[in-house]
Amino acid sequence: MFKRVLIANRGEIALRVIRACREMGIETVAIYSEADRDATYLQLADEAICVGPAKASESYLRIDRVISAAEIGNVQAIHPGYGFLSENSHFAEVCRSCDIGFIGPTPEAMAKVGDKNSARALAREAGVPCVPGSDGIIANETDAVRIARQIGFPVLLKATAGGGGKGMRVAADDQALAPAWQQASAEALAAFGNAGIYMERYIDRPRHVEVQVLGDTHGTMLHLWERDCSTQRRHQKLIEESPSPRLAPETRKAMCEAAVRLCKTAGYHSAGTVEFIVDQEGNFYFIEVNARIQVEHPVSEMVTGIDLVKAQIRVAAGEKLWIEQKDIVPRGHALECRINAEDPAANFRPCPGRIEQIHAPGGFGVRWDSHAAAGYVVPPHYDSLVGKLIVHQPTRKEAIETMVRALSELRVAGIKTTVPLHLDILALPEFHRAEIDTKFVERWLAG
Amino acid sequence: MSAAPKPDDFFNTKQIRRLIALMEKHDLAEIDLKNADQRVRIKRGGEVVVAPTAQAARTAGPAPAAAAPPPADSKMVIITSPMVGTFYRASGPESAAFIKVGDRIGPEKTVCIIEAMKVFNEIPAGVSGQVVAVLVENGHPVEFGQPLIKVDPEK
Repeated sequence: MFKRVLIANRGEIALRVIRACREMGIETVAIYSEADRDATYLQLADEAICVGPAKASESYLRIDRVISAAEIGNVQAIHPGYGFLSENSHFAEVCRSCDIGFIGPTPEAMAKVGDKNSARALAREAGVPCVPGSDGIIANETDAVRIARQIGFPVLLKATAGGGGKGMRVAADDQALAPAWQQASAEALAAFGNAGIYMERYIDRPRHVEVQVLGDTHGTMLHLWERDCSTQRRHQKLIEESPSPRLAPETRKAMCEAAVRLCKTAGYHSAGTVEFIVDQEGNFYFIEVNARIQVEHPVSEMVTGIDLVKAQIRVAAGEKLWIEQKDIVPRGHALECRINAEDPAANFRPCPGRIEQIHAPGGFGVRWDSHAAAGYVVPPHYDSLVGKLIVHQPTRKEAIETMVRALSELRVAGIKTTVPLHLDILALPEFHRAEIDTKFVERWLAG
Repeated sequence: MSAAPKPDDFFNTKQIRRLIALMEKHDLAEIDLKNADQRVRIKRGGEVVVAPTAQAARTAGPAPAAAAPPPADSKMVIITSPMVGTFYRASGPESAAFIKVGDRIGPEKTVCIIEAMKVFNEIPAGVSGQVVAVLVENGHPVEFGQPLIKVDPEK
């Protein structure tokens, strides 16, 4: 087992990893930027090393400084957390060549699953369904019709060079296709200078359901069931839960097994998440792999009783996984609310600033994962996550009740947070009936 | 609510000297004391760090200095580390140190080497003046922004 580990991250995930290490008797070296100098969680580490000024590109993303800190800190391994360098295969490679353990997948597996095209190829190889698509630019109208019939209507036309909704059109049938393709091309040319359009099956009101995987270096690959993250705003997750409500048992099983198959095919190990979208008919399609521990990992920890960060560390130290798939039986229902320093009443304007006071909720089935303390200044340079409020109860109904109670107890004075937004969402009949798709919150906010 | 301690309690030099004497007497390397809205942390062999919270600074009248160098030091310039690594005073174990206390230096003068990832980086002074103190021991690790060398720019 490692004697000393460096945490190449900040905020709540740095605290999460420090806690796991302390329990395992592993010494910790934390890094910080000048903006995080006064963060209280740094005091829980055995050593803290400043790696640069506030800007992430000059501190947390500086591979040279992170490695130097690992060297002067005398560590045997680095935990990259999430974000920052966690999915940077070059960084994982540098760790390997400096003989420093990387607590995550190999650089090769990370690169394989990280590239969109290679991931889709892996999915096909593993017999995992992907969103049917054109696999390239549509050359002309005849091709458009042929491919659309192959894919199956309705289809979504997307600009290859773009994003932000520009150069996108939905076509429900043959007749709608030609005008839709022409409009999308024209818009794409105007917005991005590139008229290229590709095609995908259009999924109406999709749900975002992801599978937590965990593998060791001895050939074992397990899943810890799924999380439903459909409650999002602009692709940012707000509320996550497990199990995914309204998921048929056979779909759940097939999805989890597909995730394991895909990761085995990729030679992936450590913790990871395989993301799917699920349509209203219950068909699931592979989207991407997140080759890291995720923000919402506590949701899976609560329903399975497995400490994912400790598992990552043990697997990285070469240990064989001590659990078998048949022993991972989910119990109860878990919910997580991401509490951000944003003002929902002012279009989610970020509210960095000093937290004058903070009172965290507690009680049966309540977990608060946060680095925030009274006097803590939320810096403007990084994400706005103040903390994660997680609850676990025997049923979804009770979990919602506990979350509402816990959110009402949570007090953060000095900055605005998204607590009111979460309370509003949790009061909606659609949320109670589990009728949430990935665009629901945006539709609801737009009135 | 109990009476708040007088704002002076932590921050007068007599009290700090008493704390340091106590530390020496009992061979303590570090103490970290908190009292309501004040805090002091002292590491023996290092700097004295006095850190009031925002509330203490508001209630205690004129705010104490965030770090506690003596007033005469405010004219000094500190050369800080631009990287994370190991500090060396000379280019090799047999070589003479780049600079010593009392030397006059210019901005281009190499003052030390910081070794990072097996690369030996020569660090230029960036200032002119007289070397007053070398703040890090040879072969010790340094972090980004760590004070390395104190220079008197007026000499």
